[in-house]
Amino acid sequence: MQGFDPALFEQIEFLLLAGIVLVLAYLALEHKEIVYAAFFFGFMASFVAGFFLLLEAPFIAGMQIAVYTGGISTLIIFAVLLLPRAQDSTLEKFATPRARQISLVIAVVVTVMTGFLAVLFPWAESFNEAFVSISQDLNGLAQWLWFENGIYVQMIALIMITSLVGAISLLRMDKAEQLGAITGEFGVEAKPVLIDDLQSAEDGQSVPEPKEVDE
Amino acid sequence: MVPLSWYLVLAFMLIGLGGYGMMVKRNLIRILIGAEIMGNGVMIAIVAIALFNPAFSFTGQGLIILVISVAAAHTALAMVLMLMYNRRYGSVDLGTSVEMEGQ
Repeated sequence: MQGFDPALFEQIEFLLLAGIVLVLAYLALEHKEIVYAAFFFGFMASFVAGFFLLLEAPFIAGMQIAVYTGGISTLIIFAVLLLPRAQDSTLEKFATPRARQISLVIAVVVTVMTGFLAVLFPWAESFNEAFVSISQDLNGLAQWLWFENGIYVQMIALIMITSLVGAISLLRMDKAEQLGAITGEFGVEAKPVLIDDLQSAEDGQSVPEPKEVDE
Repeated sequence: MVPLSWYLVLAFMLIGLGGYGMMVKRNLIRILIGAEIMGNGVMIAIVAIALFNPAFSFTGQGLIILVISVAAAHTALAMVLMLMYNRRYGSVDLGTSVEMEGQ
């Protein structure tokens, strides 16, 4: 097509994606219903992958969709579903107008200052202004990760496994604390029971089936 | 071609928006969403810088792979902490603990 400028098309694409991402991020924070907010966050994570495609990093875009959209947003939705009180928007409390104004001022000042830095900083002297393609060589990336920086990958793996095992342990410890006691075999949690007729139990008479205490 | 400054401005706007959410919101789930929005802004900035400097070609991509992996782990941990908070205080509102401990 004559007169078609791919750079202009790319810029329009960027502006469109940026608008969608900012609106979705705002909705994820401000939507009244928290379930919808979690869904908006998932959509926002998907659209951020669009920037990685624009930046010619399709592997990162795939990881972003798999982990952020498929994993993290699902975890957040699970958290919302596991916490019934969180789903009731009428129970949600909001910060005072004064706190909101102060936070808004701080956020705007930080954004404007860093934005000015991004616009005014002489990037041409620090980086190439010319377009540089990110290497698409996955073998090279794997070699860079495992052979040149393998120790960092192992450290990150250790941090991840520690945090996940820690999370599971915390949850079990908290549950055990709440139940009050752990009896019987190791790891088997017993519910507290009430015996109505203690005297008959001591006499060895037939004891009615213990009733479970409603929590 | 989209200039680097555009990507950085967008990244800083996302970081600012996420920071605003973390400062203003009292609901722990919304605070977590704010933190994730900030993380997305940081990732856009890192990949954009990697695009404009050949020295960062693998560094940027490798760093993002590690950041995304750690983000998944810290979200799982945050979710467990939220569940524990809810069990202890009966709410995911951040002010509840302050009010209950103050009594």
